[in-house]
Amino acid sequence: MRILLIEDEQKVSALLKRGLTSERYAVDVAADGIEGLELAETYPYDLLILDLMVPRLSGADVLQRVRRRNTFLPVLVLTARDSIDDKVKLFELGADDYLTKPFAFAELLMRVKALLRRGPVNRSSTLRVGELELDRLTQQVRRAGRRIELTAKEYALLEYLMQNEERVLSRNMIIEHVWDQSFDGVTNIVDVYVRHLRSKVDDGSPFKMIRTVRGTGYTICSGNET
Amino acid sequence: MTLNSLRARVTTFYVGMLAVALLVFSTAVYFGAKAFLTRALEQKLSNNAHSIVNDYLVPREQKGDAWFADEMGESYPPGYSEPSVRVSQGSKILFQTGDIRDPFVSVSQIHLPSDQNWFNRFHRETVATGQRIVLYTLPYYTPDGSVIFVETGATTEPIRHVLRSLLLVLLLSTPVILILSAIGGYFLMSRPLRPVVVLTEQAERVGRKELGERLAIIPTGDELERLSLALNRMIERLEAALAHNHRFSADASHELRTPLTIIRGELESLIQMPSLPLPVMEGIGSALEESNRMAKIVHSLMAISRLDCGGEQIELVPVSLTVVVRETLEQMGLLAEEKRISLRFEAGLAAYIAGDPMRLKQIAVNLVDNAIKYTPVGGNVSVSVHEEDMKAVFRVSDTGIGIPPAALPLVFDRFYRTDEARSRESGGTGLGLSIVKAICSAHGGAAYVESIEGKGSIFRVEFPLLNRSILSSGKVLSARA
Repeated sequence: MRILLIEDEQKVSALLKRGLTSERYAVDVAADGIEGLELAETYPYDLLILDLMVPRLSGADVLQRVRRRNTFLPVLVLTARDSIDDKVKLFELGADDYLTKPFAFAELLMRVKALLRRGPVNRSSTLRVGELELDRLTQQVRRAGRRIELTAKEYALLEYLMQNEERVLSRNMIIEHVWDQSFDGVTNIVDVYVRHLRSKVDDGSPFKMIRTVRGTGYTICSGNET
Repeated sequence: MTLNSLRARVTTFYVGMLAVALLVFSTAVYFGAKAFLTRALEQKLSNNAHSIVNDYLVPREQKGDAWFADEMGESYPPGYSEPSVRVSQGSKILFQTGDIRDPFVSVSQIHLPSDQNWFNRFHRETVATGQRIVLYTLPYYTPDGSVIFVETGATTEPIRHVLRSLLLVLLLSTPVILILSAIGGYFLMSRPLRPVVVLTEQAERVGRKELGERLAIIPTGDELERLSLALNRMIERLEAALAHNHRFSADASHELRTPLTIIRGELESLIQMPSLPLPVMEGIGSALEESNRMAKIVHSLMAISRLDCGGEQIELVPVSLTVVVRETLEQMGLLAEEKRISLRFEAGLAAYIAGDPMRLKQIAVNLVDNAIKYTPVGGNVSVSVHEEDMKAVFRVSDTGIGIPPAALPLVFDRFYRTDEARSRESGGTGLGLSIVKAICSAHGGAAYVESIEGKGSIFRVEFPLLNRSILSSGKVLSARA
């Protein structure tokens, strides 16, 4: 899978390139809009990651021109603007997804995978992480056969964690997924819910599946590797 | 057609002026006519008297009484009464014309002249039958020293009659003129005022959606054209200022967020390195947390500045405040439960307002979260939504630590925190209440706080209640935040 990254901030592009390369993607970096457009028109990329504020040709113009030639190329936009107006405009221009700076790399990776359709498309009715089982049809959760009663929000949270097994989910991602943006930035609601969920899932078991990754977020581990 | 419109005021003003002018004019006409008619009558009486003296009484000295009677009878035949004439010497009547007619006044009823004051004067008298007459008495001194009086008289009834008719005409025509000119003027005023009406409608439209629109110039070359030009220049300046603000906010956002992205990315890749010593892990974790907090602050600050400067369009739809608050509370129940705080919700009617549901929800989240945060374990937080004087009121009261009186006016300020709050809260942005206030203002509402230190606080947010007719039409309103 080959990804084109158009980003003028050298440190950001280096970070992303390092991270994406370690996930076994091939990454080309362009430092301005013109160069990026040339690359995009020359090579068949699988994904374009585009910073909106790049020199010489603005990200919006790049997006528009790329879309004129190639309607299938998935485009993930990185933006510093987060007003609804700006977001709507992005989608109108043909972006497939956007990420507001600053973002967690984990979140970027998830969106990249989703756009490349390699993400967790586990649509079977039962999710399994280690000895934890979640049945989407009956909405029942069991750990090692023991039934766990969850509230609706706890269930949604656990489902989201289990869908992204072993992956760190930031509070921001969890809030956007399980709650909505109005909870962003003020409350410690995620921590409270995770604490409750953890007590229900992990209490009484020697292995703690739900883990806190300091400064980043939460993850659920099967415990098979350790 | 309101009484307070410019049109009505101008019409009223000039009708008033016209009324005053008509009053002055009518008074002048009335008294002028009266003076003129009276003077004409008096002139006639005095001319007649003088001509009798000069033409008949002086020659009578030579030609005798018979000649006098003949001549007088010829000039003033018996039926003649305009004016009526009486020539008398002492109590002896030398000549007398017929009685005054129209209306009838018998000359014999009129007293013979006696009062010296009447000589050479006009003298008004009301006879026994009630008619008013005017008399002129001219004395003639004969060479032998006796006095002959020549009296000419006429009734003033015709003058009074004319004056009455004149007054009637004036009294009737004045209101008719005034009413006609008021109606005519009111409609006439609509022509010069029409551009103003059009201008007003256009100005109302500009800025509701986009500032990009301009008013149509009124090509009249007068004050109204200048007004429309001036308004357009004002919109231009406003637009430039807004665009500048918008660009600044976008640039600032970019400049602040890019370094944050780098810090975060570097720290994230560091923390994933295997077998880090614990203090290093701790340090990186703490730095990550702070970079997250910084990101939140930037996010909130940008949100507030966008709401404040009107940079962002917010979509206002009819929404029930009660429903928004109830849904939010359901999601926050666990936060209260954790601290064993009883979270109560009371609501009256649906309280429909024009609002952006996501932002209204944010108000509820911020206020309820604050209340829970600053209320000790086991306390109470009660939330209510009700309608009050065309307002939807959302109220959050707690039994928390309260706010010192000196800090009350400042709690909605950006980054303001009381010492108490500062020591308790960590990881917050200090912008939660500023966001509440900014969202309120963007919805045309207001936020208030009252508090007793140590007892608790009450936050109160008010929005204009939505008109039920708008509600039923299902119209989507929009406004600039």
